[in-house]
Amino acid sequence: MPSWQDFQPFIVSGLALGGVYALSGVGMVVLYQATGVVYLAFGAVGAMGALIAWSLINAGVPGWVGWLACVAFAGVVTLGYGMVFGPALAKRDPLIKAVATLGLTLVLFGLMDLLWTTSGGESRAITLPTDNSGFMIGQVQVNWTQVLGLGVGVAITVGIGAFLRYTKLGTAMRAMAGDREITATLGVPVRRVEAAAWLGCGVLAGVAGLLLADLVALDATTLTFLVISSLAAALIARLRSITLTFVAAIVVGVVHDLLTPVQSLTNYRDMTPFVLAAVALLVLSRRRVMTSSREEM
Amino acid sequence: MREQASGARAVVALAAVIAILAAGCSSKNGGSSGGSSPAAGGTPSSTTVSTSQCGTKPGVKATGTPIALGGIVTDQPGTSFTDIANMASAYFTCVNNNGGVNGHPVKYYIETEQTNPAQIAADAKQLVQTDHVVGIVGNTSIIECSIDSSYWQHLGYDIIDSGIAPECWSTPSSAAVNMGPRYSSDGAVQYALTQHVSKIVFDQSNVPGTGYIAAGPSALASAAHVPITQLTENVPITDADSVAIKEVDDAGPAGAVVLNFTPPEALVILQAAQKLGLEDRVKLWGCSTPCNTDFLAQSLGPKWDKKLFVNAELTPPDFTSTATMNLYKAIFEQYGKKSVSGGIGSFSQMGFTEAEIAVHALESVTGSYTVASVNAAFRAVANFNTGMLCQLWTYGNYPMHIPNNEDYTVTPENGKMATVQGCTQISSVDPQIAAYRKAAGVASMAPAG
Repeated sequence: MPSWQDFQPFIVSGLALGGVYALSGVGMVVLYQATGVVYLAFGAVGAMGALIAWSLINAGVPGWVGWLACVAFAGVVTLGYGMVFGPALAKRDPLIKAVATLGLTLVLFGLMDLLWTTSGGESRAITLPTDNSGFMIGQVQVNWTQVLGLGVGVAITVGIGAFLRYTKLGTAMRAMAGDREITATLGVPVRRVEAAAWLGCGVLAGVAGLLLADLVALDATTLTFLVISSLAAALIARLRSITLTFVAAIVVGVVHDLLTPVQSLTNYRDMTPFVLAAVALLVLSRRRVMTSSREEM
Repeated sequence: MREQASGARAVVALAAVIAILAAGCSSKNGGSSGGSSPAAGGTPSSTTVSTSQCGTKPGVKATGTPIALGGIVTDQPGTSFTDIANMASAYFTCVNNNGGVNGHPVKYYIETEQTNPAQIAADAKQLVQTDHVVGIVGNTSIIECSIDSSYWQHLGYDIIDSGIAPECWSTPSSAAVNMGPRYSSDGAVQYALTQHVSKIVFDQSNVPGTGYIAAGPSALASAAHVPITQLTENVPITDADSVAIKEVDDAGPAGAVVLNFTPPEALVILQAAQKLGLEDRVKLWGCSTPCNTDFLAQSLGPKWDKKLFVNAELTPPDFTSTATMNLYKAIFEQYGKKSVSGGIGSFSQMGFTEAEIAVHALESVTGSYTVASVNAAFRAVANFNTGMLCQLWTYGNYPMHIPNNEDYTVTPENGKMATVQGCTQISSVDPQIAAYRKAAGVASMAPAG
């Protein structure tokens, strides 16, 4: 078993990844609350945005323009999808809504495979200015991108929490989470509120795509399916609480990375999101059954 | 209450969707290596070579009965070896436009597969029964050798391929132009040992065949009395920071980390190490052949110059100007540019070399081109100077084939890969290499000169 000192660097890397998972998870929860859609294309949209940014930067465009293009692409595609398919799917089962976004995922995935081929062994990377500097905590090297990953996760969670609580648009989103029909009859412009949620989720997908392209890899498959960890966090929070989503995402990131130096478990660490989500769902369903039983008595 | 139940149903249903996504994710290949990279040979030449040299009748299209050849390559998201077959195809087109093979054009069929055994077996039957191919050239697949080797042997086909699976080297009916993951990793570890490192950490993709690959580096390290730690990583790697930290911690300041991954996976590990300032925390970093791409050298930047040492199985093209290398570049420019997306590099060099060997063998056939005559010609190839390998290439009648067992070591330099060590034999300490050299005798070690 590794010593405490051996574990320390993995806590740092786990916190950074957890922060970005949180950012993604929170975006998905907010969209789910406002529209009832679990956005499975979150990773693919961010991945394609990051690849577009890479192409632009490689073509000589300033880095910040590429980053903005990534965020703008993710925002526009997500908003476009929401506006075109959202109304038609509004009254369908949540599973059908989720599977529909899987369609978008596959379309984007195919496009990425076509446009950014890997048949010649091509490898690509996005680097942020924050990669090149950092500081030490004890014996552990921390770079500013890791700080950025965690910091953006915290800031987005706090910011969205405040937005939902204190703004008119946020209040409308929360109302729609309760009952879309009643909210509409009260005069809330449902389509406009949904559009804001789609756009916000898309922007977060772009930011997450950019950060994960740096922290993990600029690879279409990797980034597309990295959404699983964020989804697991959102599921642990039962797609309701952004605070719980944040905490779950951090736990997923840290536990995953802490298992790395443990020889007997290291090859199983990718199961972390599934195991944690499964345990959480079992515990939650058991608690609900016990509560129901007490009510019946 | 009803709303709660509906929410719970949604959560459970979504968990199922996640499981499907996960299955999709885990099905992503992981095949490491398979790539090769350049070597020497050929006649030094400073002049530009015309593609008319790929045939005996420049500018005359071949009009004889076509000679049907076929190849099977992996082509799936994240892993595609189509560049190899496409470059072989470009070579055959060049030959066809310049007189063909004894007046016959080569008709080349390419089948692609997605690491599905049933599909791969069907591809082989398609080539034989429908396309009536008389020879198999350019196969490059993660598992094709494992699936089809006995089929080819049974039908009397002797394959010229780029190998990945163990059976590409350990069976009588397959001879590869590349070394593949095991012997290429041997080369990378061997170079590290010559630099007197105190420990080796060998890390590779967690895919079928890791034990076979790991056996080579283990034997080399053991013979040198240097401890070795074997690691495997699930691919795609989603926590490169952790992987890099673990490798460096295990190796120690006088140790070496040797990677055997596809270029994108190796890149994420090396970049993570760089961001965390770990590149100087070990004595050196090594990598098997797939890392030998300019993409990697450009993406990594100057911090890795003379810090990362990559095994290279074929002649480095950037700094080589021989007649063969110039012909290869000319064929790529004229016939391969549209279909070979990776450009000049290991994969297209392998396709070129395989087609070159095949055409050389086909030219020796005097009668009709049948399965028997073509494969006899393939098997008879001996001491052929490909101009792309350290050694003369021999097929031979051996129970196993490792005709490429001598290689280079390269390092990033100004965004390209530059040679730091010329042709060096892979050590016979690896029992498979020893077995091949025993079987093939001097043919196993003939230098290209």
